[in-house]
Amino acid sequence: MSDQNPRGHTLDIVMAGLSKRRNAEKRFRFFGLASIVVGLVFLLVLFISIIGNGYSAFTYSNVALDITFDPAVIDPEGQRNPAALAAADYDTLWKASLLKLFPQVTERQEKRALNAFMGFSADKRLKDMVAEDPTLIGTTKTVWLPVDDTVDLLFKGKLGNEEELNERNQHYQHWIKTLKDQDRIHSSFNREFFTNGDSREPEAAGIWGAVVGSAFTLLITIGLSLPIGIAAAIYLEEFAPRNRWTDLIEVNINNLAAVPSIVFGLLGLAVFINFFGLPRSSPLVGGLVLTLMTLPVIIIAGRSALKSVPPSVREAALGIGASPVQMVFDHVLPLALPGILTGAIIGTARALGESAPLLMIGMVAFIVDIPKTFTSAATVLPVQIYLWADSPERAFNERTSAAIMVLLAFLILMNGFAVYLRRRYERRW
Amino acid sequence: MTTLENSTREKPFHREHRSTVGTFTSDNPRIVCRSVDVYYGEKHAVQNINIDVGRHQVIALIGPSGCGKSTFLRCLNRMNDTIPDCRVTGDISMDGIAINGPDVDVVPLRAQVGMVFQKPNPFPKSIFENVAYGPRIHGLATNPSDLEGIVENSLRRAGLWEEVKDRLAQPGTGLSGGQQQRLCIARTIAVNPEVILMDEPCSALDPIATAKIEQLIDELRTLYTIVIVTHSMQQAARVSQRTAFFHLGHLIEVGETAQVFTNPQHQLTEEYITGRFG
Repeated sequence: MSDQNPRGHTLDIVMAGLSKRRNAEKRFRFFGLASIVVGLVFLLVLFISIIGNGYSAFTYSNVALDITFDPAVIDPEGQRNPAALAAADYDTLWKASLLKLFPQVTERQEKRALNAFMGFSADKRLKDMVAEDPTLIGTTKTVWLPVDDTVDLLFKGKLGNEEELNERNQHYQHWIKTLKDQDRIHSSFNREFFTNGDSREPEAAGIWGAVVGSAFTLLITIGLSLPIGIAAAIYLEEFAPRNRWTDLIEVNINNLAAVPSIVFGLLGLAVFINFFGLPRSSPLVGGLVLTLMTLPVIIIAGRSALKSVPPSVREAALGIGASPVQMVFDHVLPLALPGILTGAIIGTARALGESAPLLMIGMVAFIVDIPKTFTSAATVLPVQIYLWADSPERAFNERTSAAIMVLLAFLILMNGFAVYLRRRYERRW
Repeated sequence: MTTLENSTREKPFHREHRSTVGTFTSDNPRIVCRSVDVYYGEKHAVQNINIDVGRHQVIALIGPSGCGKSTFLRCLNRMNDTIPDCRVTGDISMDGIAINGPDVDVVPLRAQVGMVFQKPNPFPKSIFENVAYGPRIHGLATNPSDLEGIVENSLRRAGLWEEVKDRLAQPGTGLSGGQQQRLCIARTIAVNPEVILMDEPCSALDPIATAKIEQLIDELRTLYTIVIVTHSMQQAARVSQRTAFFHLGHLIEVGETAQVFTNPQHQLTEEYITGRFG
């Protein structure tokens, strides 16, 4: 149809369309870059807001007070009886000491503010000191005591706008300034945040109870979902006959992976708690529920990892007379293991961050004690975050963010471990 | 089923080729196949094959792509079992024992009938482990030094020992293509099979590696019975004693290699070996 040299003709057509192709390429590259930048910006905003909010929860303010361990208050009977020492009102001691520092405080309102200046655990701190060393009684000693959580926030500069600076807080600010001038107030590492369980008082509230609860729950989840999930994946992928039943099972596993997690919570409530009578709020039930939730993810990831093992390896093994079990465990599984483990760890990481199904089985209860067994009442990190976010006290605000940081640290750790496993065991063939 | 047979017969070459030309029997057969049919679902891939495989000889299966020669080859060690929907009927026996029944255990069968594949497929393990795997799973070695002996012996017979003796711990996948294929042959003979099936073992190799493999096949003939599928007629002529020509699922002609290549009995055979189609 054309008498032109066909080669030259092709080149002309190619050249004519070339700029269009190049532009499409550039556009695509731009969109890709733009989406990555947007993603990074959001991530950055998230991190800045969480860290900016939460970093201050890792420190707490203490005030140095010259405490006179007045025997008239602690031990009026002079018996040094431990029971009597424990029952005494130690608040009186720091109140007297504070009043000595601020002798100008005489008005009733002001006095009441001063009496709330120190934290709720100052009393316990003094009590412990005396219980440990009764010879302190009658002496005067400089002791660092934790302040009230509002005072702590004021000292950190976390309360600033007008409605927060009510009359009492203005008094506090004034006293904090005086104390600062005398070098009697400073912030130090908030050990209690990492060692305590939950509390109604922000200054005593810690994440350790939730961390232990999460660990117990996750242990159950990993211990059950990993072997069951991997075994199911291997059976379905390698041994199960292909028929209507296995098709049905496959479809249902895929559906289960898409079921909202709260539904698993309802299932756990109905089956494990109401039917089997397992203890409510326990890591055991939480772990079982999360196992149900994680299983489909692990099975799907495991099956796709097994499927991606090249058929030539299977043929090679079968060709020299390996039985199907030998083929799977000697050759296919080692090659699929990095993929299986990555899927499993990502599934468990999701379980670690899950809160909705655990609300249904009562892990949302206010639990002060650190769980000791798999059946004791517990809560988990994400639920703890939810509880604190819901608390009215201002100081829980920074604790919420700090708990999120701890949870994120665990998640990053787990994902990093998954990447490490992949790198370590991945083999080329 | 009759309509199916009609449709397969109405292929470009309208010739009657239901029965095989040439001498398909062997005086001293190791494998005897009678009326072997293979179906992939509804597709009748291999039709009514009758052929004997003689002891200590190389038989080459040739024919155009898709003629069913590899499918037939895979009947001999039951590798077709791994393909869903694949059905093999007819009688196949090795040394007088039927191997095609559903009650036959394929593990000992595959230990007796080894296979080398088209693409070199060493395990992603060390060279030593590649060869040692077969003897180990079958329990052929009683102690580690015994196993080392088997590995060395197999690698020597595959002509690979001198090249790899200093790096047995390195991955088998790091070898060149020709070395990998010889490693696969060493892996196969480490189990000490009676028969070795080779499915186009040189199609992924360069001429030098091919020559080495061909020489190896010739040496192995003294110990094993070899069935080789090949696309190269020169290769068939060089390494085999007997040749079988397949076309569209039918076995057209079987005979002494020299006779098939110099004086083919069937018109299709002649057209194929003279390169008029293929």
